[in-house]
Amino acid sequence: MRNSLALQIGPVAFRVGSVWRAPIEALAGLYAGYPAPEDGICDFTVRLEPEKPWRRWLRPSVAIQGDYILPDAAPLPLGMGLLAAEMGMNLQMALGQKRYLLLHAASVEKDGRALILTGESGAGKSTFAALLGERGWRLMGDEFALLDLETGMLRAFPRAVSLKNGAIALMEREVIPTRFGPRLDGTPKGSIRHMRPDAAAIARMGEGARPALLLFPRFGAAEAVRPVGQAEIFMRLTQASTNYVALGAAGFDALTRLVSTIPSAAVDYPDTDTAIGLVDELWRQAA
Amino acid sequence: MAAPRYIADPEDQVRIVALDGLSVIFHAPSGMTHIVAPPTPEILTALRKGPADAAELLRRLSAHYEIEGDDVAARLNELEAAGLVRRA
Amino acid sequence: MSDSEQDETGAGAVMPSRRTVLVLGAAAASTVVTIRPALAQTAGSVLNCEIPVPGPHAAGSYIGADGTPVAAGTPGAAPPLARPLSGEQARVLLRGSTPPGVNPQSAQAYANYIRRLQAGMSGFTCYASLQMPR
Repeated sequence: MRNSLALQIGPVAFRVGSVWRAPIEALAGLYAGYPAPEDGICDFTVRLEPEKPWRRWLRPSVAIQGDYILPDAAPLPLGMGLLAAEMGMNLQMALGQKRYLLLHAASVEKDGRALILTGESGAGKSTFAALLGERGWRLMGDEFALLDLETGMLRAFPRAVSLKNGAIALMEREVIPTRFGPRLDGTPKGSIRHMRPDAAAIARMGEGARPALLLFPRFGAAEAVRPVGQAEIFMRLTQASTNYVALGAAGFDALTRLVSTIPSAAVDYPDTDTAIGLVDELWRQAA
Repeated sequence: MAAPRYIADPEDQVRIVALDGLSVIFHAPSGMTHIVAPPTPEILTALRKGPADAAELLRRLSAHYEIEGDDVAARLNELEAAGLVRRA
Repeated sequence: MSDSEQDETGAGAVMPSRRTVLVLGAAAASTVVTIRPALAQTAGSVLNCEIPVPGPHAAGSYIGADGTPVAAGTPGAAPPLARPLSGEQARVLLRGSTPPGVNPQSAQAYANYIRRLQAGMSGFTCYASLQMPR
């Protein structure tokens, strides 16, 4: 494809190709400073193509193609090409990643140890991780946590953070404008704006971390810390993993080891300052 | 008609990990994972020794535990539906 | 269950002779929950189960305050639910709260109904069902 970009993100290399130039330019801007894959070898390919040939020019419409696809996915207007590229990369991971156990979780690192934030979509874990990334933690990822099947270590996978609706303004107050992609309104999930992790997160994307604490954060409730049973955590994490079943015994071993060795809690918080205080306290206790 | 006899797969085909009062089981022949409560692990252990019908299973369990209740057939049906035991 | 007896060996060690109790559970109780594969792009509902209230064995009944099915029109009874409860709703009810979509005045009756289910009636194959303390 004429327009294409190769990106190394943690241990995974992507090639994103497009018949249109604009999405690749936007992607290159968002991922400024990211390394290119060594020797140009990529693990996954995403291609942004017209849904039908004439839709390349007429009300341009982007269908997400690649090594792995969802056959019935609705195409996006060209103006949301950047979103299509991001969704395409998510899809390659969700359907094609076999080397690491994927958890739908955000993760941040401090002193070589990782805090994993998991829970239902919309509960605020991505935003919270992004905020922690601006408050002394290293952001390892906001969408996927990669668990090494053999070592049990978490690998960093610092994609651009996908901020939605209210979270956009929150992070715009914290972070310089050049780290943001364009604001996209009217997407299937409301308003979205992507934010690049900071320079430290990019520079250290090759560094893993030992999982040390697992939290289920929930924004918008009175401050509370509740224990969660290990079997329930195991169950929730399998539901939050797109490749647990495919990984068979190795996935089972990695996940049971994670669940049985690290402390966890459900945390509710009415505002971010409370949340950060709770996390600091629980992190100290977990040391 | 003789009562059905059941058997469980050998230990090396089943991984089991205890997590706060429950157990998680990976059943290699099916590739499926289950979360189970007592008396499932105990029943699986008892059925590994060889085929057993409900009455024989009850006898094997009674050798090691005080048994409350007697509806072992219901447990066997559940385990068979999950693929953790099969008819011998 | 008999009281434990102490059996002393010559070396002075104490060996209790009481054995562990194994509860086989009632006919339709549940002791196995199978992990179902997650869909590619969802991290949504985690408890794959539904609890019809009341269950098919008592279809059409209302739910008394103590959770037993009662005749329709019984004063103070909670109405049958049009949609089965999800596992998450069941857990909220068991904690003493009211989940969205449930009438707060009926919540206690439904919670008691679920607690009675744990003693072994049909339809309760949720993860939540494994949480019964014995």
